[in-house]
Parts: sequence; C-alpha cells; structure tokens
Amino acid sequence: MVDALAIIYLTLGTAFLLGLLRDEWRILAYGITLLSLAMVSGIASTWVWHLADNPAESVEIMTAGASPPFAINLRMGLAEAAALMLATLTGLASTIFLKDTLLRLGRRAMAVLLVFIMAICGIILTRDIFNLFVFFELVVIATAGLVLLSHNERSLGAGFKYLMASQVVSILLLVGIIFNYHVSGSLNIDDMAGMSDMLIQTTPLAFFLLFIALIVELKPFPANGWALDIYESAHPAFSAILSAAAGTASLFAVDKVLAIGGDSWLPVATGIGVLSFIGANLFALAQTSDRRLLGYSSVAQIGLILAIIGQRDILGDSYWLIAGGVLLAHAVGKAGLFWLSGLIAERELTAWTALRDRPLLLFAFISFIALLIGLPPFPGFYAKWELIHLLAGADRIALIVLILFGALLETAYLFRWFGLILKHDEVAEKAPCPIQKVVVIYSAVVAAWSLAYLWGELSVFGNLMHAIPLLFALLFLPLEGLPARIKNVLAIGGLVTWFILQYPLYDPLQLIFGAIILPGGALILLASFHNQGRRIGFYPAALWMFAGLSMLIVAEDSFTFFAAWESLTIGSYFLILRGKHSQPHAQSYILFSLGGAFLMLLGFALASAGNPLFPLESLTTVAEDVAPWVFILLALGMMTKTAAIGVHIWLPGAHAEAETDVSPLLSGILLKAGLFGLFILLIYMGRQQLYGIDLTHVLLWVGAISALLGNLMAIYQEDAKRLLAYSSIAQMGYALFGLALMNHLGWLMALMFVVNHYIYKSMLFLSVGGVAKRTGTKEMYRMGGLITLMPLSFIAVLIGIIAVSGVPPLSGFGGRWIFYNAIMSAEYRLPMVIIFLAGPIAFLYLFRLIHTIFLGQLKDEHRKLKEAPFWIILPQMIYVACLMVFALAPGLALRHVDAYIDNFFPRNGLNWEGLTITSTYGYWSPVSIMIVVGVIFATLFAWLVFVNRRAQKVKQFNIVFAAERPYRPETTHFAWNFFAPYRKALGFMTQPLVTRFWATVAESLHTSAELFRRLYTGDGQTYAIQLLGFVVAVYLLSSGVFYGV
Amino acid sequence: MGFEWIKIPYSLLTLFIVVNYGLLLNALIAKIAARVGRRHGIPIWQNYVDMIKNYGLRTSITHGVMFYMGPVFRLSGGVGLLLFVPTIYGSVMFSNLSFAGDLILALYFVFFGTLGMALGAGESGHPYAAIGVSRGLAQVTAAELPFALAVFAVALQYETLSVTEIVAAQQGSYLNWTLFTNPFAVAAAMLSFLGSMMRPPFDVVLAPQEIPIGPPTEYHSSYLALMQTNRAIFPIAKMVVYMNLFFGGAVSWPIFFVKIFLIYMVSVLVGVVFPRFHVEHSVRWFLIWAVPLGVIAVAIV
Repeated sequence: MVDALAIIYLTLGTAFLLGLLRDEWRILAYGITLLSLAMVSGIASTWVWHLADNPAESVEIMTAGASPPFAINLRMGLAEAAALMLATLTGLASTIFLKDTLLRLGRRAMAVLLVFIMAICGIILTRDIFNLFVFFELVVIATAGLVLLSHNERSLGAGFKYLMASQVVSILLLVGIIFNYHVSGSLNIDDMAGMSDMLIQTTPLAFFLLFIALIVELKPFPANGWALDIYESAHPAFSAILSAAAGTASLFAVDKVLAIGGDSWLPVATGIGVLSFIGANLFALAQTSDRRLLGYSSVAQIGLILAIIGQRDILGDSYWLIAGGVLLAHAVGKAGLFWLSGLIAERELTAWTALRDRPLLLFAFISFIALLIGLPPFPGFYAKWELIHLLAGADRIALIVLILFGALLETAYLFRWFGLILKHDEVAEKAPCPIQKVVVIYSAVVAAWSLAYLWGELSVFGNLMHAIPLLFALLFLPLEGLPARIKNVLAIGGLVTWFILQYPLYDPLQLIFGAIILPGGALILLASFHNQGRRIGFYPAALWMFAGLSMLIVAEDSFTFFAAWESLTIGSYFLILRGKHSQPHAQSYILFSLGGAFLMLLGFALASAGNPLFPLESLTTVAEDVAPWVFILLALGMMTKTAAIGVHIWLPGAHAEAETDVSPLLSGILLKAGLFGLFILLIYMGRQQLYGIDLTHVLLWVGAISALLGNLMAIYQEDAKRLLAYSSIAQMGYALFGLALMNHLGWLMALMFVVNHYIYKSMLFLSVGGVAKRTGTKEMYRMGGLITLMPLSFIAVLIGIIAVSGVPPLSGFGGRWIFYNAIMSAEYRLPMVIIFLAGPIAFLYLFRLIHTIFLGQLKDEHRKLKEAPFWIILPQMIYVACLMVFALAPGLALRHVDAYIDNFFPRNGLNWEGLTITSTYGYWSPVSIMIVVGVIFATLFAWLVFVNRRAQKVKQFNIVFAAERPYRPETTHFAWNFFAPYRKALGFMTQPLVTRFWATVAESLHTSAELFRRLYTGDGQTYAIQLLGFVVAVYLLSSGVFYGV
Repeated sequence: MGFEWIKIPYSLLTLFIVVNYGLLLNALIAKIAARVGRRHGIPIWQNYVDMIKNYGLRTSITHGVMFYMGPVFRLSGGVGLLLFVPTIYGSVMFSNLSFAGDLILALYFVFFGTLGMALGAGESGHPYAAIGVSRGLAQVTAAELPFALAVFAVALQYETLSVTEIVAAQQGSYLNWTLFTNPFAVAAAMLSFLGSMMRPPFDVVLAPQEIPIGPPTEYHSSYLALMQTNRAIFPIAKMVVYMNLFFGGAVSWPIFFVKIFLIYMVSVLVGVVFPRFHVEHSVRWFLIWAVPLGVIAVAIV
C-alpha cells in the first residue's frame, strides 16, 4: 500500500511546485494539478479497496520518529479512507469542472485549490488536536483565497465575512485547545479521550470551546449567514467541494472530538443537528436562488448527520452505515447539484427550466434529489430506515418526528424545484455545456447509482437493485430513444410475463390485487399505443410504479413493504407530473404520500421495537401499549393513498390533470395500493383500542364521511375528470368502510369494490379522456349531444355509470347487495346513515356525466368530431365485456376470495352453489336477474318498435319549445351548475375546509421562513454577533451537561 | 325456490291484474283530488281511453336511440320491480319472479327505470327535460334516505332481507305489522313515500307551471303510452314493497286492493292540502323531519 501520508505531501508538494512554474504555462500547471489530484484519488481509492477487504488493518501513521503525545499521529481506517476518497474525488471532479476558470486564474488558484484539498484530507486523517487546528486554518485561508480570487464583488464581500467568522471560530478553537492541553498535558485526541471523565469534570468549558468551534465549522443553523453567502457567491464547483468535502471533513472532526466529550455531549450535538436540519430546510422553502437554496440544503444535511453523530451511543455497529449513507448521499447529491448549477445561466430557480429538453441532465437532477431525500434505492433510504428503527428502539420518538418533519420540508422544496423545471411556463435560455462539465456531472450520477448498489449490498435487507421489477423499470432508461409504441409492447409484455411467473405464488388476496395491477395495468397501457413519438419519461416512471406495486403485494417484511411503497409513490409522482397543468397537484401528491410514508415508517419502527428486520406477520404480536399507535400511524399512511377525507386534497387535481392514459392508472390501480395496505394491516392487527375507542369504528366513520363528501363534491364539478376523481374518493371511502366493518361480507364487499372500481373507473377515465381529446375541453357544459358522434364512448360511459350506481343487472349491484348483507351483522349502525345518504347522491353526478357530455344539445363546433381514437376505445370495449362477465358470474373471482376470507372471519360467508348466491339474510341470482330484465326489456322494446315503426328522426332543434325555436345549442343545453338547488340545500357541506386547513399550514410555514430569514441581513458584523450569540446560547442551554445534571 | 316455466303465465296474470287496477286507481285518485277542488273530474275509464289513443297515434318522431329506449327502460323498471317482489303472501301463483333476488334487488331496481328514462329525456335535447331530471334526482337523494333507513331497520328487526320472510313475520294479528312493532321505521318510510309519489308538496319534478311536465316533455304517442302504462304499474309496485314491509302484506287480492288504496291515499291526503316545495326545501325537509325518525328506528331496533 502507498503511504497515506503521500496524500498530504503529494498535494502540498504539487502546490509548491506550481509556484515554481512560469505564469504563462497554465495548461501545464493545470495538467500537473489534475495529475496530482488523480494520484491522490487513486491512493485513497486503493486504501478503500484494501481496507474494505481487511477492515482490521487500519494503520496508525507516526510522524517525526516518536509516538504520541510527542509527535503528531494520523490514522487511516476504512471510514477515513472512504472520506478521503470522497474528498479527493470531489476535488478532482471540481478541478475538471473548473478548467476554464483555473486556466484564467492561473497557477496560484490551482495551488490554493490543492492546499484546500490537502487540508481537508489532513482534517480527516489527523489524530492531533493542534494539527486539526492547523488544517482548519488552512481550509479557512484556502477558502477565503479561492473566494477572493474570483474577482466578483459579491464574492469579495462573502470572503471577508467568512474571514471574520472564521477568526471568531479560530479563537474559540485555539483557546479550547490551550485549556485542554493545560489540563490533560497531551494534544493527542486518543489520549484526551482516555482522560475524558477528568477533562469534562474539571474543565467543562475547555471542551465546550473545542466542541463549539468545530460545530460552528459545520455552519449550523442559525449561525451561518456568512456560509450561505459563500455558497451563493462562490463558483459552484468550489461550493461543491465546500459542501461535500469540507463538510465531510468537519463532521469527521466533530466525530473525533466527541470521543473526548463522551456520551454526555452527544445530546447537545443532536440538538444542534436537528435544529439545523429543520431550520435550514424551513428557510430553504422560501428561497428563489438556486445556490442559496443548495447552501441551505447543505446546512440541513450536515445538521442531520450531526444529529446522527449525536445518536452514536445507540446506533452501535450500524453507525457507520447510517452516518456514511447519509453523508455520501449528501456529498454526491449536493456536489452534483452544485456542478449542475454551473450549467445554468441565471440564478433564479426558474432558470433551471433550461434542463427541460435535456433528458440526461434531467435524469442527473432527479438522481441527485432522490439521493438527497433518501428515496429507494439510494443509500439514504437504507440509512433512514435503520436510523428510525434504532431510534424507536431507544424510545427517542420525538427525535424521529423532528427528523421526519425536516425530511418532509426538504422533500417539499426539492420536488417543487423539480416540478418547476418541468412545468414552469417559460423556458429559460440554455447555457453552453462544455464537455468536461457534463462528464463531471455524469460521473456523479454514476457514483450515485454505484452507491445505491453498494448500500444495497451492505444492507442486511437485501439489495433493491436486485429486485427484478425495479431493474425492469430501469431497463427503460437506456431504451428511451426508441419509439413509444415499441416501449409499450415491451412494457405490456413485461407486466403480463411477470404476472404469469408470479401467478402460482399468489394467495387469493394477492391474486386479486396482482390481477388488477399487472394484466390490469397492461390493459390500460393498450391506450398508450395512441401516443406517437418517443414519450420520454413515461415508461421508466410507469414501470417504476408498477414495480413498486408488484413488490408491495408480495412483501413479507416491513422493509420490502416500505421500499415498495416509496417506489410506487415516486413512480406515480413522475406520471402525475406529466400532465400539462399538474405541477401543484403532483407537488401535493408527493408531499401527502411521503408524509404518509413517514408515518408508516414510524409505525413500523414502533411496531418492531427497533428491529429493522420485521416480518409483517409479527404485527400480530406488537406490544399492547404501542399497538394502537402503530395501527393509527400505519392506517394514516395508507389512507393518504386511498385519499380518505382529510388527506384527499391531492387526488382531484392529480387525477384530473394527468394524461389520458395516466388517470386510469392512478385511479384504477394506484389507489388500490392503499387498500391493500389496509387489508394487510387489518389482517394482522385486527381491532385496536385507544382510550377505549375502537379504532376500526373510527375508520368506519372516516370511510362513510369520505363516501358522502366525495360524492357531494363530485356533483358540483364542471370538469368531467375532476368529477370522476371525487367519485374515486367516495368509492375508496366505501371500500374503507367495508374493511372497517370487520366482518366477512364487509371484506368481500371491499374486494368487490377493488375489482369493480378498477374496471369501471379505468373505463370511465378512458372514455372521458378520449372525449376530451376530441373536443379539446374537459368542461362538460362545453360538450353535449355527442352520442351519435361517439357511440362507443357513450356505451362505455353508459355501462360504466350503471355499474357505478349499483343498478341491477350489472356488477355494481353485487357490491350493494353484499354491502347490505354486510351491515346486517355490523356492530355500529350510525355510520350507515351517512353511507345511505351517500348512495343516491352518486346518481346525481353519474347522470350529469353522461347527460351533459353525450345527451342534450350538440355544439356547432363539434359537428364534425370523430369517435375517440381506436386505441383508447379498445380497452374500454374490453372493460365492457369484463363488466358483463363479472356481472353474470361474480363467483369466478369472488368465491375464491370468499373462501380465503374464511381464514379470518369464518362466519357469515356466502353460499355459491348453483346460480343463486345466498347469505345468512338474503339471496341474489345474477343470471336470473339478467335474464328477467333482458326478457322484459326485449319484449317491451319489440312492442314499441311494432307500434312505433314509422317514427321519424327529427333535427336537433325540433323540440316543443313554448312555440319558439331554440336560438343556439349553448343556450339550450342545460348543463352548467346542473344541481344548483342542491347546492342551496347541502352546499354548506362542501366548504373546502380541509383544503383551507392544509393551505394554511403551507402558508404559515412559508411565512415563517420568509420572516425569520431576514435575520440574515448580509452584514458581516451581524453575522459575527449571531455567531457569538449562538455559542452563548448553546453554552447556556447545555450547562446541564457541564455540571453533570 | 327456483324457476319454473309456469311462473311466466302466473307473472303475466299478476301484471294484468295490476295494470288494470292501476289504471282504475289512478283515475279514481284523480277524481278524488278533483272533488276536493270542487271539480267533477275524469270518468273512471279515462286512462284506458288515453292509452288506447296514444298507442294508436300515427304521428311519431324520435330524437335518437336513447330517446327511443327511454320509455322502454321506464316500463321495464316498473314491470321488473313488480315481478321481483311477491304480490300475494302465501300464494305460489303470485310469488312472481322473486327467486331472482331479495329486498335489495327491489330497492335498487327502482332506479333502473328512472335512470333509463332520464337518459331518454336527456337525448331529446329539451332543457325542461334536463331541468326536471335535475330536480328529480336532487329530491330523490334526500327522499330515499329515510326509506333506506327504515328498510335497514326492518331488515335488522326481522334479521332477513327476504321479502317473503318479512311478510311471514307479520302474520297472525295486525299488531304484528311493522306499523306497530316498529312505528318509527314506518313513520320515516311513509314520509319518504310522500317524496316519491309525484304529488304535492313534492311534485316539483313535473312542475306543470314552470317546466311543463318535466322529463317527459318531448314524449308523445306510443312513447307516452308506454309511460302511462308504467304510471299504472310503478306506483303500485312500489306500494307493494311498502305493504309487504310495513303493513303485513296481503294474503288475497281484495286485501291487496284495499291496502294499496289506503297507502296511496296517504300521499293524496297530504297532496291536496299542501302547496309545492322547492327542491332545496324538500331536501331540507326530508333531512330535518324524516331522517331523524329513520335514525331512531335504526338505533332502537
């Protein structure tokens, strides 16, 4: 192995060497700089490689021929090697990125850069506290040097403010070192750690000064105004090093020094870390400048890692995996984003719209933010999972809540940013993209995905990157260049093949959901053949969602379940975002979904009492005192997906604004994920009581109210897709209600709704989508009289609404019949009142849907419309056939499920013998009903045709109109505000209270961010005072630690 | 209980009796209402005349397929509802086609005709038709609720959804009728009944003054004749459900005729006294006055 010290002397030596070169030989100087950085990166990498195989072989490097405390020593372990590799590679990449700038600035800048990297490496390696100080000073000088070298007024200001703050820090640090040395007689960290008790007890202030100085080096919130100015005004490639490499080194330093402070100082670190994480994320919400936002995000992420360091006492063996996962994710993600910002011309977030037409860079952006947020399969995901579990195991629930809240804030602004890139009205001008910069960014992407793979391998949960469904989705990334139709064939083939492969492994419950997700998804994708071109982004997203869904239903442990849940959420987010006006809706979708997911995470962590490997079956044996809380958390998480009332506000917009073939995917399939989760939850946890309240009873009310309000809101919509979307809320309410009944038939009804809702809602969304495609509007009152022009769409809608409304003889009736039988044995009766009220209200919006679109008066501009495109009609006709089959023979699917439910509720099942289905209370014969109705209808129809055989078709306006001729279709088509009287009677129930509530939450977060960020005045003196104030505040607040309280 | 071919002629016989009774009853009720208003009223056979005339009319037009099928849906709804429920208790002959489904089938089949008819009326393109439908649907959501609660209460009370079994449980004495065993349910249901009989104060759907006859505005000749036929059958079919659930059913045709007449008279008595409600008024009225009775019925069963 190459001596680790080579890293120091190679960089330092090169820096001196550069001084000897002539100023004109810039290319040579640049080459030498690159070479030296490449060499040190190589050295660091070989060390990582070596130590990964032989972790025990960490090396103590003695200098000056004596052992500590008489000389400085350095240590090279696996963590150090990894950090060094990170620092040197970031340095190398940034140097490549900075090519033009460095060539312009000359050899001095290169030398400073090398010294900067060297100092960072020194901080990581050294075990000597004074040496640490020296390296920190070098970092400060180099930072200031690099900032000041950039000849721009803002950076000059920022550089001076930075120097001022650094002076304060240096003084604190130096005084701290002197005191500690005075007491301990050693400058060696390990020696001091050995005397930890004595040091802390005799001179707590000494340690405090040391500690706080290093903490302030991390630029914690709120004492970090100067740092943000640096991030904002420095060259992004430099900010990348500052955030990724210098941040890492400072964290390393804190980690080392905390060995001296002992466990009693860990809570202080945690406190500062969490405050930083939440505060900086909150402030980032209000940012409009990209680099400042990234600066806040850096502060936040480093805060999070500090908090993790503060939890070192309970993390045990997982400490390095957790802290390392978050740290590397932060470093690569943040460096990547800073580099990416170097390709953007302006500093407004909206300027990033320039990325819109560059799919590869966009992919890089997505990878980076996913890395930062910790979405699967990136390292942060594994780390987050394990961290939360270990915290839950140690009963640190408040900390979990704070961390998850901060993470949600982070999600909010990062995803909003992404939405802005794709959907902002104006597209910014593109800046030039020199090849070396692009290469640097792509290498960060490669690093990101490699880390994803690596962490998968390191984790004990199994590598998500080995999951075939996820790999299949990733396969579509390199295929993006192909025409959409070819990809569609592949996608359909993949879904069907996976179903065939998995089919034998499914139990009946999984089979129902699997059939809806896989072949059901393939059926909806038939409509996607309508799309021309390449349709970039659709297939990876759709299949990522399908991958998540198909993994969800077979998940056996909480980790797989959660990973699948997050995967399907992200996939569907990208799908939703594709709609023209869907940015705000996609945003609220991702927030609610991830918020829900975090609740689930907490729920699982509590349930498993901190064991990250938790089989779902063990939910049955959760400790009694936490069980109801687990139930609530998991149920809430799942209900964000079924859009139960209260957390439903994302759904209408998301479903309505999505593309034609995406809406059915969302409504028909995605919502079922929540129902599946609730099934699993209720199967394993059953009834839970909290303060004597039966929680399933609460679910019953939630389901009933969702059904009522969903239906009520649906009738007031003018937009056909919104109407269907609200209807979905109601339908999911019914299903939830059925589940919460906690009896045999209730569950059967819920499953019947799963199947029925998939069929009819997919069909209706496709019909309405097809009509909207032809008419160019989704507003129903702008349509009318389309029945003759679009007969097939009409038939689909007609069959659809009969099925939704539950009118015999179609399959919806089966759902109602089972429902009535189910409530006969229910324990609670009052929620039925709400459900009964909800029922007929469905007729209102269903009639409105079909009437205002297809009946009434045809508009002049629509006279030449054609039927909806073939590929959109085809799946609808297949659905019509399915509905007919399901109406005649519901037993095909349901009898197996019925038998399966016997496992949980052996009583009150149905009897499926013969053609009549019987329950304890009643009976129902689908075939007889169909025949009777068919015969009566046919007979009467024949009779009418006979007596009325000479009927003449008359023209549109030939109606009895008070002896007048109608003037225009628009004034004659009764469609707008169709149920005006109903609004007078019951409109008060549809006041958007929930929407207002959430809007207020979002508003107050933004307002407080806006208000408090004014503390950052941009004035150096203010910053210095804030810094001192922060130190004093921490001192006072942690005085309990000092005196051993 | 299953299908036998003989049930077809038996069912047709039921239908025949009910159609004739319905035509006569409607005329009688019209006459009673006229007498209350100090008018002479129509002859008792007037409905026959109207129907024959309308079936025989030669001029007829159509606005399209749904328009054509609207009345067919309507009448199928009426006939189906009648035949899915046993008419005479204890009679195999008049148990009709009730083997196909229980009470829930009857409850939901009510909407079959309504929906089809509404669609047909919609295709006529006449705004009055659409306005009538809008009003009708709005009103029915509130009017149905107390009935649904009453049905639920009754089903809970007798622990069955089978109409025959519910009637069976009320035999023996008139004190066994649901009317006496569960008066709240019956009260709720009878208030709901007012809302579904197209009589004042809940006849805003047809509203002769503002939207002349509402949904059927464009229907004429044989279409109208089909709907008139339905008007003879449908109210009776519905009252059969009421009779079976709340008033002990009927063991013979004479009892059937009397009970149906009396049930019908409830809505007539109310109708001749009260003026018409707006839709929003009737929605609130049902929610405020009828629904609580239903809730009580469900709660105390």
